[in-house]
Amino acid sequence: MSQAAAPKKAQGSSTAYAARSTSRRRWRISLASRQAAFGVAILLPTLAILAIFRFLPMIEAFYLSLTQYDLVHPPKFIGLANFVSLLQDPLFLKSARVSLTYVLFSVVPVLPLSLGLAVLFNRSLWIKNVLRSAIFMPVVMPAVVMAVVWTFMYQQDGVINTILGWLGIDPIAWLRSSASALWAVILIGIWRATPYYMVIFLAGLQAIPADYYDAAEIDGAGKWASFWHITLPLLKPTMLLVIVMNVIVAMKVFAVPLIMTGGGPADATRVLPLFIYQTAFEFFDMGRAAAMSVFLFVGVMLFSFIQVRMFTRGDEQR
Amino acid sequence: MIKWNVRRTVSSLAVTAMLTMIAGGSALAADTPANFPKEKVTIEIWWHEYGPFTAYVKELIEAYKKVRPNVTINSVVTSSGDINQKLTVALATGTGPHIMDQDASFYELYFAKGVLEPLNLEVFGAKSHDEIIARYTPGGIAAGTFGGKVYALPYQGNSMSLFLSNKAFEAAGLSPVKDAPKTWEDMKALGPKLKKVQGNRTVQKAFDFPYHSPRWEMQMFQPLVEQFGGRILSDDGKTAYLNSPEAVKALTLWRDVTKATGDPKTTMNTPSNPNQDFIDGRTAMWVTGPWATSQIRQSPVKDGFTVVSYPQVDPAKPHTIVYGWMWGVNKAKPEAERIVAWDFIRFMLAKPDEWLAKAAFVQPVKGVNETQVAKNFPFFDVHMKDVSTASWYIRSEFTNEIGQAVGRAIERTIYDGVDPKASLDQAQAEIDKVLKK
Repeated sequence: MSQAAAPKKAQGSSTAYAARSTSRRRWRISLASRQAAFGVAILLPTLAILAIFRFLPMIEAFYLSLTQYDLVHPPKFIGLANFVSLLQDPLFLKSARVSLTYVLFSVVPVLPLSLGLAVLFNRSLWIKNVLRSAIFMPVVMPAVVMAVVWTFMYQQDGVINTILGWLGIDPIAWLRSSASALWAVILIGIWRATPYYMVIFLAGLQAIPADYYDAAEIDGAGKWASFWHITLPLLKPTMLLVIVMNVIVAMKVFAVPLIMTGGGPADATRVLPLFIYQTAFEFFDMGRAAAMSVFLFVGVMLFSFIQVRMFTRGDEQR
Repeated sequence: MIKWNVRRTVSSLAVTAMLTMIAGGSALAADTPANFPKEKVTIEIWWHEYGPFTAYVKELIEAYKKVRPNVTINSVVTSSGDINQKLTVALATGTGPHIMDQDASFYELYFAKGVLEPLNLEVFGAKSHDEIIARYTPGGIAAGTFGGKVYALPYQGNSMSLFLSNKAFEAAGLSPVKDAPKTWEDMKALGPKLKKVQGNRTVQKAFDFPYHSPRWEMQMFQPLVEQFGGRILSDDGKTAYLNSPEAVKALTLWRDVTKATGDPKTTMNTPSNPNQDFIDGRTAMWVTGPWATSQIRQSPVKDGFTVVSYPQVDPAKPHTIVYGWMWGVNKAKPEAERIVAWDFIRFMLAKPDEWLAKAAFVQPVKGVNETQVAKNFPFFDVHMKDVSTASWYIRSEFTNEIGQAVGRAIERTIYDGVDPKASLDQAQAEIDKVLKK
């Protein structure tokens, strides 16, 4: 090999290396791109379904809320008139109050009840599985069946008033009195939601390592102290999930009041989703119904946002 | 005796033939309209579910197919509570049926929305809409007539009459015939005799107003207001009189009758089974329509009931209510299909006596009370007497809103003890807003 040929060879080798390196880099980028493209391709059908069946109707609802639309004639743009009118409508305000009452009193009791049941079933009980299944039954029962069964149970001669009668208590007109109808519906909400959230809490409890409790026991902590200082703090993310989900579900309650009371007596159980349905499909005022849906949507978002902020405030500081 | 029977049979046949001609359905094949399509046509019909009614319409569809073999009829049956929503949404989205079945009070709304086709005179062999109107009892077709034109035809026009339980009356030492109430004051007087309470539980009500749906509440409230000389709506439908002195008197009477006779908190009636309390013997008196007859006869009550006229404020000025369901045709369909739709409606309505026999529906056509079926129908004369003093259930674009506002007012007074005037003032304020739309 000549001397002149050596640097050439070296140059050639370096060029080849550079080319190989560039090619490898290009390959690396290309692989990443391909993976990304593959990911997008996999997601695309789901995204398309979401866009068509979730987001487009939501955007459409936002648009309709700015219109006057009776289903037959084309929508007429009226700006914010529906929102202004709703804020001055006593029926809407009453319905919003009913919904808030329902949310408050069906969500708050569910938290301790479902957590309590989860703690109970997290222990070793010999009939644990049977009890768990029995308690979970309301969750799998269709809402319509449940509403019909409870309607019978609430009647004057129903099982609830019969039991009250044995205790010397006069029959209560559960669904036929403005004073009691909403509470009767709330009771069903609690009865149905508790086992569902119990299962979620149970999963949360089982994810807590037993070592923590062992260490606490060695340090002399009692059951209550362990629950307060270990269980509750570690269940915080589960609790957030339960509250947010429960509020959203409670805000959207519809079938039970529709079937059991139709919103009555005297609007005592006309929750917002029921009023939206009536406004849209009984009064044929789609624009107004859409505006109510926007209020409901904003309400749910606001609730969820506040809850997330409240539960994650401490974490951010840490 | 034999002569009488022959005469009676002949006269019944004559009346039936006359009715058939009135309704325009006889010898259908021979009456084929000139522009009736010869090619294959498919139409769709929707109606509300009620056992005997559904069975009869299905029977009519099969019979029509034999007369018009080129026509296919598809049917959709839905509950009475849902049909309004489903129909309106379908009409709006262009998927509505050719023939719609709807509560008469909603046709005002459909007419206002411009979805109805006027009756095809040629198909019915009539020269004018007045000629069609004349075939019905006075006011019998009013709910389907707009601006002098007929847009919908009724297959039932129900009076509301008072059904009495013979068993409950006899157990109280009363006669359902001699002691039958004529006025609301009579109803109040009967209350303590027929109402049975054990401890704190009402085991039998003397009478109860309906509370299972705003529509039924309105159905009872409207005649009460009218009996006091008032009205619910102005003729043009733009003004409501829900808190008029007459309306306040009506709600006060409702409350007082309830106190004396009923216990609204114990009702088991539902929109799909509005006569449940009467059938189960939980109430001795109940206001309902002739259509309930077959249901009551099939229940443990069997034939142990008596029907008397709707109670009055002043029997010298009787006033009752009539409501019904009608067939209409969708304007958005092609002309040939609309012709077929009207032709099938004509075919369906051709035999009012069959409607009465098979579905217990009274078509408000002239001469129906002369048929043999009507003569055999229990208390048909009472139902007809009540129809003769009736006005139709309110007609408005806002029937649902008005019905719900009245229902809420009634429930506030009955369930929550709110003063009738205050309750109706609130209803009036609610409806004023709606009517301003």
